[in-house]
Amino acid sequence: MGQVGIEFKPPARERSSLPTARASGRSRRRQIKKTFNNLKITILCGLVTILVLRGTIGVGNLVGPADADSDQKVVEDIDRILREIRSDSDPDDEPPLDSAASNSTTFAATNVTTAATATDKNYTLGPKISDWDEQRRWWLADHPEFPSWIAGGKPRILLVSGSPPSPCDNPIGDHYLLKGTKNKIDYCRLHGIEIVYNLAHLDLELAGYWAKLPLIRGLLLSHPEVEWIWWMDSDALFTDMAFEIPLSRYDAHNLVIHGYPDLLEQQSWIALNTGSFLLRNCQWSLDLLDAWAPMGPKGPVREEAGRILTANLKGRPAFEADDQSALIYLLISQQDRWSDKVYIENSYFLHGFWVGLVDKYEEMIEKHHPGLGDERWPFVTHFVGCKPCGSYGDYPAERCLGSMERAFNFADNQVLRLYGFGHRRLSSPSIGRTRNQTTRPLEFKDQLNLQAKVSIG
Amino acid sequence: MLVRCFGERRVRQIQRALQRGKLTLLCLFLTVIVLRGTIGAGKFGTPEQDFDEIRHRLLPHRSLPQRALVEQQPDHTSSSSATAGATKPFITDEGDDDPPRDPNVPYSLGPKIFDWDKQRAAWLHRHPESPNFWAPNKPRVLLVTGSSPKPCENPVGDHYLLKSIKNKIDYCRVHGIEIFYNLALLDAEMAGFWAKLPLIRSLLLAHPEVEFLWWMDSDAMFTDMAFELPWDRYAPFNLVMHGWNEMVYDDKNWIGLNTGSFLLRNCQWSLDLLDAWAPMGPKGKVRTEAGKVLTSFLKDRPVFEADDQSAMVYLLVTQRDRWADKVYLESAYYLHGYWGILVDRYEEMIENYHPGLGDHRWPLVTHFVGCKPCGKFGDYPVERCLKQMDRAFNFGDNQILQMYGFTHKSLASRRVKRIRNETSNPLDVKDELGLLHPVFKAGVKLADAAVTGS
Repeated sequence: MGQVGIEFKPPARERSSLPTARASGRSRRRQIKKTFNNLKITILCGLVTILVLRGTIGVGNLVGPADADSDQKVVEDIDRILREIRSDSDPDDEPPLDSAASNSTTFAATNVTTAATATDKNYTLGPKISDWDEQRRWWLADHPEFPSWIAGGKPRILLVSGSPPSPCDNPIGDHYLLKGTKNKIDYCRLHGIEIVYNLAHLDLELAGYWAKLPLIRGLLLSHPEVEWIWWMDSDALFTDMAFEIPLSRYDAHNLVIHGYPDLLEQQSWIALNTGSFLLRNCQWSLDLLDAWAPMGPKGPVREEAGRILTANLKGRPAFEADDQSALIYLLISQQDRWSDKVYIENSYFLHGFWVGLVDKYEEMIEKHHPGLGDERWPFVTHFVGCKPCGSYGDYPAERCLGSMERAFNFADNQVLRLYGFGHRRLSSPSIGRTRNQTTRPLEFKDQLNLQAKVSIG
Repeated sequence: MLVRCFGERRVRQIQRALQRGKLTLLCLFLTVIVLRGTIGAGKFGTPEQDFDEIRHRLLPHRSLPQRALVEQQPDHTSSSSATAGATKPFITDEGDDDPPRDPNVPYSLGPKIFDWDKQRAAWLHRHPESPNFWAPNKPRVLLVTGSSPKPCENPVGDHYLLKSIKNKIDYCRVHGIEIFYNLALLDAEMAGFWAKLPLIRSLLLAHPEVEFLWWMDSDAMFTDMAFELPWDRYAPFNLVMHGWNEMVYDDKNWIGLNTGSFLLRNCQWSLDLLDAWAPMGPKGKVRTEAGKVLTSFLKDRPVFEADDQSAMVYLLVTQRDRWADKVYLESAYYLHGYWGILVDRYEEMIENYHPGLGDHRWPLVTHFVGCKPCGKFGDYPVERCLKQMDRAFNFGDNQILQMYGFTHKSLASRRVKRIRNETSNPLDVKDELGLLHPVFKAGVKLADAAVTGS
């Protein structure tokens, strides 16, 4: 293989670069032709690329899929609606609106040293009534079709609860308000009690926890046939469906509230709990409400009252006046006037602080039965400090919500077993049959005792 | 340098080889891409998937607010201690609740009862403290409603459910009616709109003292607080629904009646009706097939699985002789009122009419069919639904608030204002509608079940 003999041919272009006039014209034509060719190839390649891409990715998808769009639209709609809803709510932080004659908020003195001046003397819940007992007696005599007792001779009770008119900051809060309401409906249906659920701010000055005062007064005066008003917080759940309040114990009293007399003596700010209490429909109660209200009006009055309460009550943190501290202070400072008609109940959990109770439900199911109402089977489990409706509570949200679910199911089991069902686990909403269906269902009903032991898997 | 290394010719050969190599590689690459785009390269995916992934990563993906609560896992420590040595309290294990039912065996709501009227009469006789009539024309009624045990997908859904139940609590308090709010799925096969059937049956059998069971959807609201149902009109009937005879029996129209709000008497006839109604309900093939039958049989019905309302129309039409004489299709007032034709007229109603009429002039019930406030997607725009539900709620709430001297500032506003000054003689003042102590509540004497044992 001799490579030496191969003639080295110069590349074609070198040959054609021999300078002649014709050659340059020809070369330009060739260049143009080449450019055209290149262009053709480029366009062809471009077309092929687009076709291939369209086949694989799809040009339509460059705009965005329909699913995410409509999802997004719904989310935006809901957000906008929520903003509108919240903008319509009563401004809790703004100063009170135009004052009617009876509701002025003039602050008495700048230099406050006593509790008397830390209240708004000019604020009243309504026109003073002095003969309510008599008015009520006349009315009841005139209306025998609306007696103050129900079938069986039990005094007529009206359970009152409520929550703010706007959606909760935390959506799960509304879900637990709904469950809490169902829980109250169940207990009240079993015990012949009527319910009023309030979603309105009747008096803007007494907003927040104070809102119950004008509400309770309004209901007492509108419903003379009601013997007892039972206020219950929206975060309190019934956990003993069989327990009956021993009303005969309170014949000589007008206010029944859960608390500890020794703590009251020590002036502790948690000596009583106003999350669940009974108030008799009588003149004494109207007077109590009138004496209780002055620390409530929003603004400087409530702030100053808060300072007084913190100074006088043991363990109270610094914040504006709340109805519970104010009541404790009232009962301490005006003991002679009120305490003989106040029954401080702690033989059962008219209010049961949730922390010590929720973890023991399984143990209770094993060892005890409904109807006891005390630490063995709490009547009410009250989720103080949880605030599922708001954004910030005193406890971790998950713990609160999980515990509320357990308490709700614990109570629901006592209702569902009337129908032959039960929750499989206290943490789960799913239920299972506990009793086969029969063709003689009323035999079971006759045997059923609400106080019988509950069993659970 | 290369030239010196390899020699010129060699260099050119290498260059040519490289160029060819480049060409080859390019063609290979193109082939792979095209093949991947068309056939797909298994776990390496397709360009479409790539695109989706890139888009998702780059664009902020907005989703509805997450729920804080996640269902807890079974607490092993507590459950083991509770079941150690004890008999199992549940009839079936959790997994066994949905065994694949033999489709040849017809679905049954429960063991067939034949003598319910007799059983019930005997019980009522033994328990005179739990009567089924408060007065000759005032039967004992249980209003039944419910919603899903899970939080709503829509973040404001639960708030509207809360307002809806408050609305029902108010009407029922004024009229002496008891309420049962259901948050449990009693039978997994009858889920969705069919869930009311097993619930209604359980309640009828557990509450012999109840004369009428009033089912009401959670998206229906009372808008006439003063209207008392004409109970004497229904004495000869066992089922009362809103609807029109011609539309059901002649037209066979699937919306000829509405099962969102109806009355069912507690008697043997009703148990039989429930048994005849249920077979189209069981989830799965049965419900889908039944849906097809219903769509072809009924006028204007769209294609979807069997629903309880269409099934009721079908039942009444095909078994008219058996049921129709005890069914009353009420159209004199809005036992169910379709919201679309009512909500824009509230202001006109306030101006021209008054509560207590119950009909087109002042509807008893405004039913938000198709809105689905708890879910994400209904048949109507979310905003219109929620705004109108607010208005309907306030329209009804005004009638309750006026008892205490208040009213909403406007139908769209949550805020309230006083309409009546307080006085020191509150009992001399009568509320305009007379709802504080209405005549129709006079005889109702609720009892304490724990005491009476009912």
